[in-house]
Amino acid sequence: MYTRLSDINRLFGSMNLLQKKLNDLYSDSGRSSGYRWELDQTSPRTNLYENGDIFEIRAEVPGLEKDDLNVKIQGNYLEISGNRDSDAPEGYKTHKTERGVGSFSRSFTLPSDVDSTKVEATLKNGVLYLTLPKHEASKPKKISIV
Amino acid sequence: MDKSKEIAKQDEKNIEKTRELYEVTPAVDIYENDDEILLHADMPGVVKEDISVDIDNGTLSISGIRKLETEGAATYEEFSDLEYVRSFSVPQTINVEKVEAELKNGVLRLHLPKSEAAKPRQIEIKTT
Repeated sequence: MYTRLSDINRLFGSMNLLQKKLNDLYSDSGRSSGYRWELDQTSPRTNLYENGDIFEIRAEVPGLEKDDLNVKIQGNYLEISGNRDSDAPEGYKTHKTERGVGSFSRSFTLPSDVDSTKVEATLKNGVLYLTLPKHEASKPKKISIV
Repeated sequence: MDKSKEIAKQDEKNIEKTRELYEVTPAVDIYENDDEILLHADMPGVVKEDISVDIDNGTLSISGIRKLETEGAATYEEFSDLEYVRSFSVPQTINVEKVEAELKNGVLRLHLPKSEAAKPRQIEIKTT
């Protein structure tokens, strides 16, 4: 089992190397190295964790203030949208702009309904943390045998 | 029989490696005016203490390590702990002592002021 895992890690390691080489290649040829092996530029990458009665979502949103973000929840549907403005200073010559700007929207279907009144959202160091407690009805219940 | 034993032995020798942080190139914006060069780099989730900025012999290297606290089982993960690494060649005319760095909302902003000698000077033309 462990040997397999290390094999997989090694495989991903070489994939990262390939990705890096490709990125180098693209930036060398003078093309925008905005070409990256990932989601389109402004859509935040997201993690979803399930921890007992709560779901936790993390999303990468560098440079965004809380007013730039919108989180909508309905049942098990979650939508994170926002807008990233360019922070280009005025009167400067631009050499490189790889950081994407513009609006984005991502929606998710959570594995079960959440209680939208108890959802908490915090923004820290450019990462959005969402804590979504599961709805009473979707929590596991113990049935006693009579 | 002997051979299969040997194979089993080799398998045991294959030691599980500790998972290394993989390196990622952060997206950057670079701007310049007469007084300074500005560099903005996206490093979401990195705290101030884990960022290092070095300028040595015309090379600017930035590095930031992200350590995320995770709880529970991951249903899916699109990002993880990593190290943002990137280096740039900077002109020798940068005033290294006056370089300033700030981190806000996961964006690292570097101000690289040019030394006096490197700034363009307007030459007044005298009419005679």
